Amino acid sequence: MKRKRYAIVFDTKKCLNCKACTVACKFENYVPVGDDSYRLWVTEMPLEGRFPVLRQEFRPSQCQHCENAPCEKVCPTGATFRTAEGVVLIDYDKCILCKACMAACPYDARFVSKKHDAVEKCTFCMHRVSEGREPACVETCPVRVREFGDLNDPDSTVSRLLNQRAYYQLKPEKNTRPRLFYLK
Amino acid sequence: MTNQNNSLSHIFRVNKDIPAMPFIACGAALLLVGLIGVIRVLVYGQEAVYGVTRQVPWGLLIATYAYFVITSTGLAFIGGLGHAFNVQPFARIGKRIVLLAFIILLAGFTQIGMEIGHPFRLMYLFILSPNFSAPIVWMGIFYGIELFLLSIELYLIFVKSPKNHALSAATAFLTLMVGVAATSNLGFVFGSLTARPFYHGIYFPTFLVVSGIAGGCAILLLIHNIIYRFNIPDELSRTMSGLSKLMGLCIGAMLFLSAWKIISSLYTAPAEAYEAATALLSGPLAINFWCGEIIFALLLPLAMLLMSRGKNFMIMGAAGLFFMIGMFFTRYDFIVAGQLHPMRAGNAGSHVDVLNGLVHYAPSSGEWMIFALGLGLFFFFYFLAERFIALEPE
Repeated sequence: MKRKRYAIVFDTKKCLNCKACTVACKFENYVPVGDDSYRLWVTEMPLEGRFPVLRQEFRPSQCQHCENAPCEKVCPTGATFRTAEGVVLIDYDKCILCKACMAACPYDARFVSKKHDAVEKCTFCMHRVSEGREPACVETCPVRVREFGDLNDPDSTVSRLLNQRAYYQLKPEKNTRPRLFYLK
Repeated sequence: MTNQNNSLSHIFRVNKDIPAMPFIACGAALLLVGLIGVIRVLVYGQEAVYGVTRQVPWGLLIATYAYFVITSTGLAFIGGLGHAFNVQPFARIGKRIVLLAFIILLAGFTQIGMEIGHPFRLMYLFILSPNFSAPIVWMGIFYGIELFLLSIELYLIFVKSPKNHALSAATAFLTLMVGVAATSNLGFVFGSLTARPFYHGIYFPTFLVVSGIAGGCAILLLIHNIIYRFNIPDELSRTMSGLSKLMGLCIGAMLFLSAWKIISSLYTAPAEAYEAATALLSGPLAINFWCGEIIFALLLPLAMLLMSRGKNFMIMGAAGLFFMIGMFFTRYDFIVAGQLHPMRAGNAGSHVDVLNGLVHYAPSSGEWMIFALGLGLFFFFYFLAERFIALEPE
């Protein structure tokens, strides 16, 4: 059996900017309040078109779980590591808070957590995934902007979406090979 | 017993001619301020006391860490030229060089110790769980070895014996090599960051080594002027002139490197590096850059060194002072400029607050207090040593 390769595919055209994903993430993972304390964000992209025919896209994002993760390379103690499924995680007990991973991340996906006294970021809700559940942000979304699944399974929703539709990734020039895909 | 007393008197003596007391007092006051800063961090936590943010995670304390440790390795380089390569003018002031390098390195360690959230965890995890692909690990290893070698050098230069001479030369050579490796690795901590194009590449590993050697010369010129009350004896003329020539050469190289760094960051406006360069030239760091980096660290000291013609020691000392002030801004600018361009646009919902496309950072009072700790440690312990230890040239 092939090892799983987890990924999230976004259909941002569906996003309502309700921010239910950000709230679900906060509650699910006990993310502390504070301006810099968040694992997910929803960026309001610039308006497109001409009045009165206007269009705006909302782009949710989070840690890209890069296959070539700069945060993992620069972490001096190996606190940041990748699981066999390619999920980038942090061992809070090994984090020395040098913040090199924060400086190295091209997506600004990491922050200093008061709760863990370490750097924190999206974990793909691995505690839920190991129980066969979806990440909280995926499950809570009222319009299914996010689909979570295994890229090695050709029948998974993520594989089918990526086969059927064109997609892009954030900052491909950084050669980080993210596991987050955005449908065009 | 008499021999032992003699050897101790060879090392320890009260040097009443050296104007050390004002600096010791100043150092003690700065140490006190620094200790209050440490208590604030311990009580309220780094997040409450420091001004660094999610977008600018490295701030003043990384700059001051670099300021101290790079100067220390520059001193070790000059000491290595003296002891290992037998450059006599530098070998004569070997005691002062090694002691300065040792104390300044310790001052640098106070900065990184207070910057890192878990410094004690670092100590055992660097042994139990090192990630050798991380430049920080190599930087830590090399600076650790540097401190160890400087301790051995300190012992060897004060305990004279024919056997020690060869060992001292070997240690000085190793210290020189390890110092260069440590500083260039510190540069690579930034140079390895593909996320930050202004940092990425070989510029910083190179520039930091060259500017460190200039810093070593500058502080030696300044310290000798203070120790001799701006009346340096003629017997040190070759030393002072050698230091001023080396410093002038390094400043020339720094000018060359800085000019090409700025030109290459502007030419065809490469994404993110361009914004960092314009932040320096005409943005929030412009005053620091033009006054601190260009005038104080480069043009003024270079002009003064040329004016001194290798003879006027007082002008050389002033050049050293201006350079050390300017170097503070140089270190600060390079740390901050590379992080001012945000990793995503500051649109609504992105949680990124930008002004003219750049994020903001200003050091907090707590960070300045920790800088005072490092400065205080240097002033207090170095001038205490000048007061009570025989450091005169050989």
